[in-house]
Amino acid sequence: MSLRRWTVTLLAAIVALMTIAPLLWMVSVSFMARGEASQFPPPLLPDSPTLDNYRMLFGTFGLGRFLANSILVSTLATALALLFTVPAGYAFAKLRFRGRDATFRMLVAALVVPGQIGMLPLFLELKAMGLVNSYAGALIPWLAGIFGIFLVRQYCLSIPDEMLEAARIDGAGEGEILRRIVLPLLTPIIVTLALFVFLSSWNDFMWPLIILADQNLYTLPVALAAMSREHVQDNELMMAGAVVTTLPVLILFLALQRFYLSGLLTGSVKG
Amino acid sequence: MAGLTIRDARKSFGDTDVLKGVSIDVADGEFAVIVGPSGCGKSTLLRSVAGLEELTGGSIRIGDRDVTTLAPSDRGIAMVFQSYALYPHLTVYENMAFGLKIAKADKAAIDEAVRRAATILNIEPLLERKPAALSGGQRQRVAIGRAIVRQPQIFLFDEPLSNLDADLRVRMRYEFASLHRQLGTTTLYVTHDQVEAMTLADRIIVLRDGRIEQVGTPRELYERPANIFVAQFLGTPRMNILPAVAAGEAQAALADGRRIALPATTPAPTDGTDLSIGIRPEDIMLGDGPDALSFTVTFIERLGGLATVHLGARDGDEPLRCQLRDDGTLAEGDRVMAHFPPERLHLFDRDGQALARSTDE
Repeated sequence: MSLRRWTVTLLAAIVALMTIAPLLWMVSVSFMARGEASQFPPPLLPDSPTLDNYRMLFGTFGLGRFLANSILVSTLATALALLFTVPAGYAFAKLRFRGRDATFRMLVAALVVPGQIGMLPLFLELKAMGLVNSYAGALIPWLAGIFGIFLVRQYCLSIPDEMLEAARIDGAGEGEILRRIVLPLLTPIIVTLALFVFLSSWNDFMWPLIILADQNLYTLPVALAAMSREHVQDNELMMAGAVVTTLPVLILFLALQRFYLSGLLTGSVKG
Repeated sequence: MAGLTIRDARKSFGDTDVLKGVSIDVADGEFAVIVGPSGCGKSTLLRSVAGLEELTGGSIRIGDRDVTTLAPSDRGIAMVFQSYALYPHLTVYENMAFGLKIAKADKAAIDEAVRRAATILNIEPLLERKPAALSGGQRQRVAIGRAIVRQPQIFLFDEPLSNLDADLRVRMRYEFASLHRQLGTTTLYVTHDQVEAMTLADRIIVLRDGRIEQVGTPRELYERPANIFVAQFLGTPRMNILPAVAAGEAQAALADGRRIALPATTPAPTDGTDLSIGIRPEDIMLGDGPDALSFTVTFIERLGGLATVHLGARDGDEPLRCQLRDDGTLAEGDRVMAHFPPERLHLFDRDGQALARSTDE
């Protein structure tokens, strides 16, 4: 029994180490002097740690601007996604209206279509609307993610109807029921969804690349990619860029882990 | 406070008619219990009064207001649900204050109303707790508290005791009765449990298949059931029903050919008509007497003080159930004499409708 437990712990530790090792090395390399990481064998730790790479990123390349762009886009994407998907998911689960189930089935069916297929038509549509090269255009695909609606709906199904009816008898309007009763109960799933949307929009590369032409509007992944074309050999500099890209979301994830996990569990069990 | 008047209430879900024209009057301050088997439409009726279901036809008046089309919150009702339906993220206090808060009552008024209700229900120490930290009985009390705070004209209860264990159910039943005495609020209470109906109701409304079978005080329904359904629905063990044929002057022949004396009815059944004779288990007298018949004891359910004795006449016939004080002397297989006092018999015609006794006039 004890041996078995040790084996499991050991295996888990190995897997965890394998996952985290590249990340740790990324951080380590970002503090190395130019060219240090390209030696063979590559060193694990910097010989004399330096902040030169970060200085260059934020100074010469003005990465601060792109960081701010990314934060802005991801935050707006998250806020807008929640604004639309949460009420939609609730409505699909709990409100009676004509065509509800048919509409929902269609939405779920659309889930199987890969997002990339829609990119060209979406681009042309936004072009016609004059939204190319604007944040509005960058944000539109995030407005009402089907997966988010699905997630919220499944979770809402576990809220008993009698509770909503009790609130109706207590005189609460539909908006008040959503705000005062449903939203507090949905907290875990909302946090989960917010994290999903934030992470995906933060890491998204394709869509901002397509829709944003003006360099000043670039988000971090797009900016880094543009930069890497000129500095493809500067491993240390690129790693510092990668650290700036990964670290904020990693910290966010760790901070919200508690809600996130409970959200995933309840969602799956009750859904 | 106010009375409740339901006129010809009809409700259909698609092709299914759940309520087929129900009319009920509940007097101001009365405790009315709707009872019936599951699927009889009793919950639909209650939810229609609450405004959670829209009637397909008919009208509902509370006091002198027609509320048929009003929103639930405008009807002056409060409802206690079977699942309690408390808001899990709010404290007991907040749960009870919710309705007044929505109505934008001022803080002091809310506080007074909540504390008054909490005092009535003895739940003051629980006010800061969340529902998850309460027992079933306490949750039930909070749900009632939430209803009291609204100061409704009518209380609606939807099977409020079904989720409680047997012991607690008996205690809460008593509390409902004393609460009603204290508040005097008109109450409509739905249950499938005939014991709850018998013990709580000023008046019972027996519903079956979307129609009213009988309305009356518990006593009336028990003593003078209008038909076999009501007769067998109220009372445990159920009333015995014996198929028989009218045979001569105030006599009937049972299925096995034996005769028993009948009470006088108007009109008296003509010879040869099919009858059903009902007798409650506690009305069968064991021991010799005029017209006593002989039976075999096939089974005895001993409950401690009382025993239900199954009396079989012929193989294959449904045994009669007879309830008596258990002195431990009877044993299965014994031959006993039993007689059926004519004044305790209930007569039903071929359609199961009660025949009026002459003494009823």
